[in-house]
Amino acid sequence: MKKFKFFLMAVAAVIAATVTIACDPTDDPEKPVIKDTYSFDLFVCAVKHGGMSQNKNGTYVRSVSALTADQPRVEFQGKGIDITQNYTLESITRGKYYYQVPQKATGGFVKFHIERNAAGEESIKEDAEVPFKDNVYAARKYTHAWIGDSTTLVVVGTKDNATKIIWTKLAESNLTVQAEGTFDISLPENYNAFSTAGLLTYRQTDKKLYYFYIVKPKSGQSDAATSMTYIAIINPETMAVESNTAVSTDLMEETAGSAYGELMQSMIMQDPSGNLYVAGLKTVNGQEMGVLRRIKKGETTFDPTWNGFPNPEGKLLTVQYLGYGKALAYSRDEKLGTKIDSKSHFYSIIELADGQRSRVQFNGQDLPYCGGRFSQRSDVLNGKAYIGVGGEVAEDGVEQDYPTIYIYDCKTGEVEKGIELAKGFCFDIIRAMAE
Amino acid sequence: MKLSRIVVSLLCFVGFCAGLQAQDTLLFKGALSDTLTLQNATVTAKTRTQQLKEEAYSVNALNINEIVSTLNSVTTAVDRTSGIRIREEGGVGSDFDLSINGLSGNAIRYFLDGMPLDAKGSGITLANLPVNLIERVEIYKGVIPAAFGSDALGGAINIVTNRRHRNYLDFSAGAGSFHTAKTDLNAQYTLPRSGLIFRPVLSVNYSKNDYIMRDVKVRNEEHTAFVIKDLPRFHDDYRSLFGQLEAGVADRSWADAFFVSASLSRIDKDIQTGATQSHVIGMAERHTQSFNVAARYEKAHFLTENLSLRASVSHTSDHSLVIDTTYRRYYWDGTYIDGSYSEIRGRGKTLRHTVRPLTVVRTNADYALAPGHGLSLNYLLNRSGNRQWDDWDDEYVPSNDVLAKHVIGLSYDQSFLNGRLSNVFFAKGYINHLKVGQSELSSTTGANDVPSDDTQFYPGYGVGSRFRMTEALSLKGSFEHSIRLPVVRELLGNGSTVYANLTLKPEVSDNFNLGLFGSHDLGSGHLLSYEVNGYIRLVDNFIQATIYETQGMMQYVNVAAVHIMGGDAEVRYDWAGKLHLALNASYDDSRDRRKYTQAGDLSVTYMNRTPNRPWVWCNAEAAYTFRNLIAGGDRLRLCCDYRWVHWFYLTWAAYGSASSKSKVPTQHLTDLSALYAWAGGRYNLSLECLNLFNALAFDNYMLQKPGRAFFLKFRLFLQ
Repeated sequence: MKKFKFFLMAVAAVIAATVTIACDPTDDPEKPVIKDTYSFDLFVCAVKHGGMSQNKNGTYVRSVSALTADQPRVEFQGKGIDITQNYTLESITRGKYYYQVPQKATGGFVKFHIERNAAGEESIKEDAEVPFKDNVYAARKYTHAWIGDSTTLVVVGTKDNATKIIWTKLAESNLTVQAEGTFDISLPENYNAFSTAGLLTYRQTDKKLYYFYIVKPKSGQSDAATSMTYIAIINPETMAVESNTAVSTDLMEETAGSAYGELMQSMIMQDPSGNLYVAGLKTVNGQEMGVLRRIKKGETTFDPTWNGFPNPEGKLLTVQYLGYGKALAYSRDEKLGTKIDSKSHFYSIIELADGQRSRVQFNGQDLPYCGGRFSQRSDVLNGKAYIGVGGEVAEDGVEQDYPTIYIYDCKTGEVEKGIELAKGFCFDIIRAMAE
Repeated sequence: MKLSRIVVSLLCFVGFCAGLQAQDTLLFKGALSDTLTLQNATVTAKTRTQQLKEEAYSVNALNINEIVSTLNSVTTAVDRTSGIRIREEGGVGSDFDLSINGLSGNAIRYFLDGMPLDAKGSGITLANLPVNLIERVEIYKGVIPAAFGSDALGGAINIVTNRRHRNYLDFSAGAGSFHTAKTDLNAQYTLPRSGLIFRPVLSVNYSKNDYIMRDVKVRNEEHTAFVIKDLPRFHDDYRSLFGQLEAGVADRSWADAFFVSASLSRIDKDIQTGATQSHVIGMAERHTQSFNVAARYEKAHFLTENLSLRASVSHTSDHSLVIDTTYRRYYWDGTYIDGSYSEIRGRGKTLRHTVRPLTVVRTNADYALAPGHGLSLNYLLNRSGNRQWDDWDDEYVPSNDVLAKHVIGLSYDQSFLNGRLSNVFFAKGYINHLKVGQSELSSTTGANDVPSDDTQFYPGYGVGSRFRMTEALSLKGSFEHSIRLPVVRELLGNGSTVYANLTLKPEVSDNFNLGLFGSHDLGSGHLLSYEVNGYIRLVDNFIQATIYETQGMMQYVNVAAVHIMGGDAEVRYDWAGKLHLALNASYDDSRDRRKYTQAGDLSVTYMNRTPNRPWVWCNAEAAYTFRNLIAGGDRLRLCCDYRWVHWFYLTWAAYGSASSKSKVPTQHLTDLSALYAWAGGRYNLSLECLNLFNALAFDNYMLQKPGRAFFLKFRLFLQ
């Protein structure tokens, strides 16, 4: 009998291992696996980088089938979709669809996708549009998670000048509002506002929603040193708050972003084991510096002994799981500039086992620094990380190179040069989409 | 000599009586002490508006007296002139943006009889000034006479009020579509014994502005989906009150005119939409009230025979309140959901007060050096405070700043060749004094980079010339190196959504104008007038609003070169004062000359046409006047106006596929009006139909203008 049990356990272990290996190592539990038919949507802005603000200078999108170097350069002269007035750069995506509270402020949610005709011309097709029910969200100011085998979208935001936290469940198919409510979370004493949106994610291993939010002395922007981060664990069925724990400010004062969820930048990642990682920041010698914290599988609070972003040069802005115990980090070197467009942002690979970090290189050279504090110029698909870099500018102001996408092999670490984009634009987003 | 004085006086007189052809006995009592009686004299002379057009400056002059009985807002008339474009955000009382030869916003300055219009209160604009009060509107394009003493960059509009010598009463009342009503009263009475003159003005406007919004999205009955409907605006009430009493004396030995005045204005406005009509607002309001006291003094032959003096002083108390205290999300059917953020600012609730006391002192001294040569010295002080607080938002830190501008101008006019050639040379000095109390966010505002009490000097200069080649054709050109000092909002922010930028530099522009104009008498009462102008504006340190890194915050910054060039042309035909035809067209070519972005990258928009601005448009007018139709001295004037504006892209034209781009569509607007005046113009009844064909029209993206509207107006003019 023992041998039989052992045999069964062995078979189960083999099956589990097989399933794990069969899963794309880049799998994000929040993201459907895109295998065969996919495309990449590339977002650029004119004049200055967009994201997290209303860039009225123009936001343009091109959809291309591949990002390899053999593809023609991506041009925007008379091509692409101008989304400036109607849609926000920030969006929820899944499969081939975008979901958002649109810039055009119709008073509801919209679901759309980008189509390409035979001539390669893109257009936007709206698939659903529904009004808000009772809870109202402003464009860009919400966070989200997928539950119920991705058939339900949960949106969380705040109301009454960020003093209450609201949630809405939407059916993925037609955006029907399934349920709404307000979290039973109150502001602690001496704090007067929640973060605008916070960060919401769903962890498959314990089937719970994790909601990371910040409490602040006043609404709007404030110093991280005056804030405190909380982790609320939510039952996705009932949306009841099962626990609500303050994070020690020694570990993290704020999450890397809190106003706009992960509508543009990825700040939370999970590995196949169920470890959950959160990018954040804390003040060191008066400067806000990045941290990467981990909630181990089976735990609900940060591991105080682990930081995946030690010795930071500045803020950690985005993290994406690459598989093979590695993550792609997009961070800033504070001494090179702290403005949105400062050429101070760079990519590096984090070894999650020990926090070792190294710049992403091509032909032995570091990929250049880029502008774009609020950019997500990288995506991970089928074992490859696609990393976009803006064109380098020489001292005379002349752009030396075309903005280029580099392709990082998650397994081998090899980097190849990919497609180029037209010069002069601020390259902001790569989104891998199902066809 | 006496004859020449008579001729001069006659010219002065006919300046008041546009195009008057007097065939009866005239009794004239003017600046001359003599009384002159003419029998059966025919006087033909150029109107003051025509004289202005013939100056070296590039100027449009509109004679409002001719159309006052049908006009409801002077903006309507100004919008029909060449080179001008007014973009309105909605109906009566809505915000508007006026551009002159490609420059708009704060680059344009407004004056009322030479004094800054702001002095009447921030709520008083071209749109709500009583029309009956206005004699003419002067529109200076790019190059502005030193006499205005202002730091306008793109142009100036001077509204000249009626200065009749007789007692009169001018009353009008009207009502029209969208629950609009309007009453104006304007009068003058001289006490017989003392000669004390009283000039009361009263103007009241009201509109519900409930015009139909077409194809707007609202929720279905179950609130589960959107449906498309046509629905009236429901929160756009506008009320304005303006009252003024001026008292003084004229034609005294010590003063040609000395008047003191007090005025008050109050504007109450509901706010219906945000930047686009999909952002529906249902509760927010804006209230503005102002009180002004002023005095003016005019004297020819001041101290010496050749010196004339005009001096004015004015102080205004201006208080505005924005009420944004509702967390609601409205739909066009008036229903709402309790929302998360305030309606206007999209943040917390506010009851924001802004008090801006304004003091203006203006002095003009003209000295006649010799016949045809004159020197003019001008000084303008404009001191503005900026105090803000919030009754609701406890986190708001009140601010209190002061900005003072001194502008000194010196100009020299000369005339040669019996008036065929005239030149004007001028120089201006701008002194900007800033005293700053705020020190918050110094890395953003630059508070640590500038002294807290600072004075700067900037020079400006210009020249204009007009040469009459033949009786039918004249050439004129002008140039100004102009300066525009930042306004309070740009420099000091608004304490909430706009950061201060204390390092902001003044805008500088080199403005060039070149024009040909003239008129040709075809005989038998047929008169043809024509004009064509070209312009170039080379603007540097252009002050532009930019979205700051944090959400929703703005800051004004200097950007490098913006170059604008363009032209306009106008042809007018008149037959015996009966048939009047006019056609004008304007072209504005504005390109982005910023080669590099703020980060030092090559700008992809370099040399692209500036988005979101009309670049070609035209106006046409046809009018016919019947005289003595029913009774002697009556007049029926039928008029048709047509406006066309070419569509334009909201964003940079070059990028993105044409089918995906947002556009402001082409406008075709036709207006009709009929005026019947009888008893020598004592009684006037007019009916106006705006947007006759009920065309869907937008000046701005997704901000629909009113559809077809009627307005009936009665005017009584007693003199």
